[in-house]
Amino acid sequence: MMSFISYLVNGISLGSIYALIALGYTMVYGIAKMLNFAHGDIIMVGGFTIFTAMSTAWCPVWLSVIIGIVVCTVLGIVIEKVAYKPLRSAPPLAVLITAIGVSYLLQNIALLIFGSASQSFTSVVKNVAPVTIGGVTISMETIISIVVSLIIMVCLTLFINKTKAGKAMLAVSEDKGAAQLMGINVNATISLTFAIGSALAGVASVLLCSSYPQISPYTGSMPGIKAFVAAVFGGIGSIPGAMIGGILLGVIENLSKAYISSQLSDAIVFLVLIVVLIVKPTGIMGKKINEKV
Amino acid sequence: MSEAAPMLEIKNLAIQFGGLKAVDNLNLTIKKNQLYGLIGPNGAGKTTVFNMLTGVYKPTAGTIYLDGENITGKSPAQINKHGIARTFQNIRLFKDMSVLDNVKVGLHNQKKYTAIEGVLRLPRYFREEKEMDEKALELLRVFELDSEKDTLSSNLPYGKQRKLEIARALATNPKLLLLDEPAAGMNPNETAELMDNIRFIIEKFDMTVLLIEHDMKLVSGICEEVTVLNFGQELAQGITTNVLNDPKVITAYLGE
Amino acid sequence: MKKTTLNNIITCGMVLVLFIVCGFLSSAGVLGSKLSGLLIPIGIYIILSISLNLTVGILGELSLGHAGFMCVGAYVGGVFSILVQDVVTVSWLRITLAIIVGGIAAAIFGILIGIPVLRLRGDYLAIVTLGFGEIIKSISNNIYLVKDVNGLHFSFASPVSGTDAATAVDIFKGAQGIKAPQDTTLLIVVIVLMISLIVIMNLVDSKTGRACMAIRDNYIAAQSVGINVTKYRLVAFVVSAAIAGVAGVLYSHSLAVLAPKKFDYNLSILILVFVVLGGLGSMRGSIIATIVLYALPEIFREVGDYRMLIYAIVLIAMMIFKNAPYFKDLFEKFKALPVFDKFRSKNKVKAVGGESK
Repeated sequence: MMSFISYLVNGISLGSIYALIALGYTMVYGIAKMLNFAHGDIIMVGGFTIFTAMSTAWCPVWLSVIIGIVVCTVLGIVIEKVAYKPLRSAPPLAVLITAIGVSYLLQNIALLIFGSASQSFTSVVKNVAPVTIGGVTISMETIISIVVSLIIMVCLTLFINKTKAGKAMLAVSEDKGAAQLMGINVNATISLTFAIGSALAGVASVLLCSSYPQISPYTGSMPGIKAFVAAVFGGIGSIPGAMIGGILLGVIENLSKAYISSQLSDAIVFLVLIVVLIVKPTGIMGKKINEKV
Repeated sequence: MSEAAPMLEIKNLAIQFGGLKAVDNLNLTIKKNQLYGLIGPNGAGKTTVFNMLTGVYKPTAGTIYLDGENITGKSPAQINKHGIARTFQNIRLFKDMSVLDNVKVGLHNQKKYTAIEGVLRLPRYFREEKEMDEKALELLRVFELDSEKDTLSSNLPYGKQRKLEIARALATNPKLLLLDEPAAGMNPNETAELMDNIRFIIEKFDMTVLLIEHDMKLVSGICEEVTVLNFGQELAQGITTNVLNDPKVITAYLGE
Repeated sequence: MKKTTLNNIITCGMVLVLFIVCGFLSSAGVLGSKLSGLLIPIGIYIILSISLNLTVGILGELSLGHAGFMCVGAYVGGVFSILVQDVVTVSWLRITLAIIVGGIAAAIFGILIGIPVLRLRGDYLAIVTLGFGEIIKSISNNIYLVKDVNGLHFSFASPVSGTDAATAVDIFKGAQGIKAPQDTTLLIVVIVLMISLIVIMNLVDSKTGRACMAIRDNYIAAQSVGINVTKYRLVAFVVSAAIAGVAGVLYSHSLAVLAPKKFDYNLSILILVFVVLGGLGSMRGSIIATIVLYALPEIFREVGDYRMLIYAIVLIAMMIFKNAPYFKDLFEKFKALPVFDKFRSKNKVKAVGGESK
């Protein structure tokens, strides 16, 4: 029983990291109607930035983390401006291929700089002892992941529902043309969405690399894809959906690792996606979109 | 003409989106070889009726009979096989295919060679492909598009795209043709030409046509009977000239 | 003769001449062992890219799991060859049988995966095919197959229990994969390539191909003219999967050892790069792109490290140049230059008719 609780807590922790990444996917999908394949690789860039900053002697941990998040945010905006903006009116296949190209580009730049071997990442909370609650030992990374994710989710929900910029995002995702006619700066809103999504990816990179202390050019791709699965699971475009989907997926992955097979856990995650899409293609919280005839 | 059997019978047709009744209790009978008009202000539910007739939407209530056969709730492809073909308000051509190939797609179900015969290039492939080419060219000739058969359909000017859509619909060999605002975006010359085309189709292909139109001149010029829709409900029905002079209809169009 | 038919014959002729000349030069020793060694993989990759082009270019759906179908073909065909090694000793017969078995296995997977996947479209379809590709790879990574006097033993964990230690032979060893007999020869690759090319081109230039392109261009309009969209999407998807499986069989029989990690997501993307850069829907384009993109980095080793980087940049640039409104206008202006007047066909669209917007 104790081990079950410990797997569960670790699953929630992993899941909350997925949820942070999934939020980026879902926000961008909602507003730009595109699958930002490069989102996972932004995490990898964030991880390497922090890794590099921390290995220079003068840079304290907190500053490294901030640098990492800022780099991710700027990268997200630049990618949108350079690669995606010219393709707003292009067919979805072209946009998807471009996004794959961007993902590939980031991975290969990292490969040339850092090589393909995994390097060990020093946890940002390495000297803090784990906590034991009722016989279950929980690492500091796990606690921080859950707490940070919760705080961010609350802030994001408040931001979107209470602020002007947040409401503009909702309006643009509903109808770009109408939003523009209402005086909303659509380009700025899309940039803001990419910025927030990428900043969340930056936060996720800190949590992910600290919990699983390794980094390589491929670090981002699997969590990225799984987070997308989480976003679809929860209903793409829905913010609470991304949170629930992320946490559920993390729990499913960790429990199947523990009780079924650690080798096949990835396969199980994808199986979940396929079942969800077949049974309820719009996800748990998604709404149905009809093509206008 | 008036004794002809009904080609299309719509009984108590209704559809609801959420709480909104887009079309309610619509009754309509179109006789064979008739040219029938469906008119009404913007948002009256005309295209929704087309979408129900062609299976894009499933009606919440009511039945649709085509030539005596109940086709309610069938899929778009099945309904086309039963004999309803349509055009779209916002043109939907196969844009990366040639003009000729667009029409040949319309002929798809009339030729029986299989994928394997196509791959192995068996005699039936050559014979039926040749028949398709001839038939498609014949249809293109009706609309004077035959000289442009190799042009990419998206490169055609707007008016010709509309005509190509009609040719493609005709290629499926329908009993009933639904035209959704066929004259939209056309200049007066093109519209006049289109009216001739429509009359010609009815005669030559023994066709029945249901037409959605905004252009009152076109409607009064060629439709024998019309139904006026307003807010999803039938406002008036009958002989075109009578209906268009009905004060209710004039109010609906021009406001109080 | 029809223009398409002529074009297809030129494409086939081009491939055939190229491989005959290279094969001849290679056997005469002019080509050198390094270049000769490239011929078989290039042939296999061409088969993969033309089969993917059927899904992406003709059907218009992005499949990111092409390596998965190749994997199925490679292992089913490979295991088959290992098992019949002692019975069928003629290598060309053995690989022919393996190709049939592997192709059918991949087609069956294509049907099993296609039925659920093809209910989706666009981004969702892409991600689910990616998922299936990963599932096939993970499962292959955990297959253990041992043969002994009592027959075959299969397990998802190593070591396989209940085997007779004295006679046990590993056939499939999890992450280490299989060691299939090296039956693939250049001649067989060229024959399979030509057959695949003709099958795909004939399929595209028929009712079936037109139906697929109609679905690609306008899903709703295709239904409205009576096309059974589910059927044709499945046909194209399964043919594409089966041919990828055949390429997989050739692949597993051309290597000494084949580990499942070869069939990862990056392989699917690599093939996609060939297809996109060659031009969606153009078989000739896929062939040329595959040859150039596969051979050049191998020949110029110094750019080898930058190969993927260059692919990525070209991929993005291609999409932006082809689809961004700014570049589209530029291209139209360029085409309208008087220099090109004589190339223009006489029935070019005239600027009459209501240009409505």
